[in-house]
Formats: sequence, C-alpha cells, structure tokens
Amino acid sequence: MKRRPNHEVRRDQLIGVAVFLTVWEVSAQAFDKPLLLPPVSAILAALWELLISGALIKALGESILLLVAGLAVASLIGFICGTLIARSKTAYWMLNPYFSALFVTPTIALVPLVLVWFGFGFTGRVIVVVLAAVVPILFSVASGLRDSPDDLIEVARSFGVKGEIQLLFQVRLRAAMPVLMAGLRLAAGRAVVGMAVAETYLRLGGIGGLIKSYGAVFQTDFVFAAILPLSLLGIAIVTLISRFERRLHWT
Amino acid sequence: MPSRLTKPSVWLPILSLVLVLGGWEVVGRSIDPLLFAPPSAVAATLASLLATGELQAAAQVTMKALFLGYALAIIAGIPFGVLMGALPRLGDILQPYLYAIFSTPRVVVVPLIIVWFGIGFEARLFLVFFWSAIAISVNTAQGVRHARPDLVEVARSFRANRIEMARHVLIPGAIPFVVAGLRIGAERAIVGVIIGEMFLQIVGLGGVIQKGSVELLPAKMLSAVMVIAVLGTIIVTMLDLVEKRFQSWRGEST
Repeated sequence: MKRRPNHEVRRDQLIGVAVFLTVWEVSAQAFDKPLLLPPVSAILAALWELLISGALIKALGESILLLVAGLAVASLIGFICGTLIARSKTAYWMLNPYFSALFVTPTIALVPLVLVWFGFGFTGRVIVVVLAAVVPILFSVASGLRDSPDDLIEVARSFGVKGEIQLLFQVRLRAAMPVLMAGLRLAAGRAVVGMAVAETYLRLGGIGGLIKSYGAVFQTDFVFAAILPLSLLGIAIVTLISRFERRLHWT
Repeated sequence: MPSRLTKPSVWLPILSLVLVLGGWEVVGRSIDPLLFAPPSAVAATLASLLATGELQAAAQVTMKALFLGYALAIIAGIPFGVLMGALPRLGDILQPYLYAIFSTPRVVVVPLIIVWFGIGFEARLFLVFFWSAIAISVNTAQGVRHARPDLVEVARSFRANRIEMARHVLIPGAIPFVVAGLRIGAERAIVGVIIGEMFLQIVGLGGVIQKGSVELLPAKMLSAVMVIAVLGTIIVTMLDLVEKRFQSWRGEST
C-alpha cells in the first residue's frame, strides 16, 4: 500500500550505504581499535589480498562444491521420500514423524554426532548439509504431490499418458513445480547455514574454515573480508531461485 | 488424497518406531560403543543424567539465556519494527542491512562476537537476542506498512482520528505479522542459544553435547539432542497455534 517508487527507494539506499560506510570508516579510524572494529579500508584491503592470493577463490570453490553436492543428495532423498509420503498413507505415518523431528532439531546440535559417525571428510560435511536441507525439500514434494490435479490427470489420460510413473513425471511433478521451487529456495538457505556449520566446526576447508582460522588469530579485518562473500553467496543463491520461481506462473 | 490422510492410524507410527529402534539396537550393539549407542544405552544414559540432575541444570542454563534473550528481542524488536513501518524511508534504507545480517550463518559471526562480547553470558545472550530481534522487527514493519487499504478507507470516511485509526485498523492489521515474526524469532533464538553453548561457553544443553563429543559418549550427545528437540518442538508448536489463531485477521489484500 505504502510502496514507494523503486527509483526513490534505490536512491535512498545508495545514500544510506555511502553514509553508513563513511561513518564506519571515520569512527573506526577515530576509535583506533582494529581488533574490535577494523575500518572499511582495512577490510577492503584484506578482501583484495584474499582475492589475489587465490585463497578466497579456492575456499569459495570448496564451499560451492559442498553446497551443490549436499543439495543434490538432499533433493534426491527428499524427492524419493516425499513422493512416498504423498502417495502412500503407510509411508506417511511411518516416515513423517522422523522428518518433523529432524526439522525442529538445530542442525548444529547434530554435527558432533555426524563427526563421530562419519568423520569430517567430505562425506561428513555433505551429510551435515543434507541434514540441514532435506526437510524443506521433502515437505514441498509431499505437499505438492498430495493435491492431485484431477482435471490435468483426466486430460493427460485421454491423451494416452498411462501408468503412475508416467503420470508422476509428466503431470503431477509439473503441476507441483511452484511448490517444489519454494521448497528448494528454503532448502538452499538452510544448506548455506549447514555448509557454514560443517566447515566452521572443525576449522576445515571452505569459506567457513577460512573465517574460523582468521578468527582464531584475531585478524578481525580478514574475518569481515571473508564473511562478506559468504553472505553474498547465500543471498545470490536464494535470489537466483526466487527469480526462477517467479517465472513459474502456470498454476 | 487428503481424505485418506485425515484418518490417523495409531499402529503405523508405533510399528515404524519399533522397526527403527529395533534395527538401531541390533546395529548399535554390533558397533564399537565409542561410536554408536543403541537405544537401550541412550535410555540408560538419559535416566542417569536425569537422576544426577545434570540435564535439568543444563536445561535451566539454556532456558535462562533463551528466555532473557528472546524477551529482550521482543522488547526491542516490536518498537523498532513499528518505527521502521511508520517511517517507510527509514525501513527502506535499513532493509538491506537487516536482510544481509539475517542471511549470514551465525556460526561464522562467532569470531566477531568473541572479540566484541567475550565468551560469557553476554555473548550468548547477544547470539539469541540479535537475530531474533531482526526477525521480529522486519515482520512488524511489514505488518505496519501493509495495512488493508479498504479498511483504512472506511475508517477515513468515518472520520477516524489517528489514535482511533491505530486502535481499530493499524494494530489489528499488524498483529498477524508480529505473531509470524515472533515464531520465526523463536526458531532463531533456539538455534542461537545452542550455537552459543557449543562455540562460546561450554554450558547448558549445547555444552552437554560438546562434552559428550569430547568424552566420546554418543549416548550423552543423543540424550541432549533429544531434550533440545522436545523443548524446541513445544515452543514452536505453541507459537504456531497462536499464529493460526490470528491468521484470519490478515484479510485478502495481503
């Protein structure tokens, strides 16, 4: 209702960023405690150093690989179990309680267990991401496939689509697409958190590990410089998916 | 086929529980007890942790930080949200920062919190408070800004003054958003308190998990995880019910 015109909002935000960064820089210089509040210029210098040394690119690469692998496994498990839960009452009552319990348990609390059971190689880290991301995918698949698009199935049948499997892939999944994308968006947000948790917990690899090791030696400017790309990565992934989501207007 | 799901069957979850616990017990017994705990061992550990009072004491520490931080988040978050909603320009300027902070995983901010607040109670409180307050204020601001135009119109035509407008249109319209913010804020607060207890000060239920991990006692870790899951479920379910209660106030225009 009180939505202001876009160019006005953007202008205000640009002025806001300029003021914010200036105030930060000036007060950090005056305060002169780089351990607590490094000036913006120092953070940018640290970011530049991380960029040209290749450390940031390498860490981001590892993190993105972990994220993609985790989301892929979570999608696969979420898809299979979600389909079962949606199509079978037995599966619903047998599986749903566990996933609901997993959903409310903070992923961080499960990390030490994963560490003990699977070690902290790549497998362990992928499992942490899967634990964080699988439930939103599963719930979206289950709710998307439960509401059966009867009219569409009728039409598909009369055009010769036969069998549950064929119906699933050609009709049900496509009709459920917007719900599935919303689930994927939620899952991606949680996956980024899971990735950070996995990497930070043992100071091992990726952007989370980078942040943790700079934190351990109290190089606050480098901590800020490494957090920034991680936040941007998270925002970029979620924005990308919601862009895609907005295109799915067919239901 | 929702109709098939509306009739709950009691024996299926029980059968599933028996299968899972039974399988877990059989597998758990055949594996090194340092790594894997069968349900019988978890139950025994849970009972002994309860008998010695260790778990209750830990839960008390956790609850203290959780409720104090969450209460502060409500006290600060709602007025700040109203301010951002009432001054759209301020809201628009602050939005990107709040969004950026909110979408940054908290574990990576832990090094900053250590240099700012140390590793004591204040640091844990901040982890609970800050992210929870952001969730509450952003949702409140949304609620204040998105008053239903039809109701505003009606109130105007009845010559409602500012106070009447706030009392009858703006506040009731914002409440569902505020309640949604309270639920999201509570989820954030629960995760925040556990992060603080595992990464900052090894106390509370998160501390029990961390100690169990160091002592290689998976049964101890699982006991604490279960208590956290149960507490989290209770808190979130209660706020869920409150949120559903206010759902109808949202109206169609939102």
